[in-house]
Amino acid sequence: MVKMKYLIAAFLIVVVAISAALLFFPSEERKVKRRFALFSDYVSKDSKENTITMASKIKRITALFSEHCNFMISDHSLSGNYTREDISGMALRGRAYFSTLDLKFYDLKVSLPEKDLARVNVTARLSGQSVDGERVDETRELMCLLKKVEKNWLFSSLEVIEVLRK
Amino acid sequence: MNREILQKVRQFFFPPLNKGFFVRIFVIAIGAYLFFSYVCLPLQIRGSSMEPTYGSRGINFCWQLRYLFSKPKRHDVVVVRFAGNKVMLLKRVVALEGERVEFRNGKLFVNGNPLEERYVRHPCHWNLSPRTVDDQCVYVIGDNRSMPIENHYFGQASMERIMGGPLW
Repeated sequence: MVKMKYLIAAFLIVVVAISAALLFFPSEERKVKRRFALFSDYVSKDSKENTITMASKIKRITALFSEHCNFMISDHSLSGNYTREDISGMALRGRAYFSTLDLKFYDLKVSLPEKDLARVNVTARLSGQSVDGERVDETRELMCLLKKVEKNWLFSSLEVIEVLRK
Repeated sequence: MNREILQKVRQFFFPPLNKGFFVRIFVIAIGAYLFFSYVCLPLQIRGSSMEPTYGSRGINFCWQLRYLFSKPKRHDVVVVRFAGNKVMLLKRVVALEGERVEFRNGKLFVNGNPLEERYVRHPCHWNLSPRTVDDQCVYVIGDNRSMPIENHYFGQASMERIMGGPLW
């Protein structure tokens, strides 16, 4: 009986140790996934958002991108190389168009083809309501490249996968 | 006799909770999970792109073994993987690799010949310049062409994205 008690205690200690290790020393894959969670959080918007929150979120969105980021979004004629300032302006205009906005990422597949480079295949769902009351619900598959700069994973390329080409 | 039948019916619906029962439940649950995850995917149809053949809010299954040993044929309805593992498109194959597709005043032409499409009920006035379908691709379009061409999502899809066909 005493042995059993020690066994359970040892098991619990191992579980706690593994959880702590995962929490405090996340793998590169987890760090990359965390960037997507932050991106989703910063892009999302509720109807009561004030100017200070908006400015703070725009600043944080911009900080997720590298100095130059390549966009390939043919649906919205948004293709080319953009600086952080450009992205800040685009984020501001894009978010201002919506009264509510929700960005969610699903099915993240992260691969690390070389050092300090992550390739992520992900499904993005953007839903919300424009200030004119129009409902928006778009889902797209994205291919993203993130580069590690000073211990931070930053978006350096974002491409919307074209499934059907007219 | 009646009592025997009654007992069998009761045993069928309320079996004894023994080891054999739980093993059966476990096997069925695993089997169902594998079957509905990898062989026969449940689908909920949203949107009117395939009307009247498939209406919005309909329920169907994607039979993933449909193209295991064959390629999609013209007029087949296929399930195209759109994003991730959960978002699919239901479309009809109208042209195969190497063929030339075009719309002239609402009529679909493949290799310069008009295509008989009995499944299209709504007339349209679409115009699309000729284009050739790439290797390992098929050209897919929805049956409902009542909307402007810009609002209808169609085009060339890679064979790799063809998940299968609807079960019915």
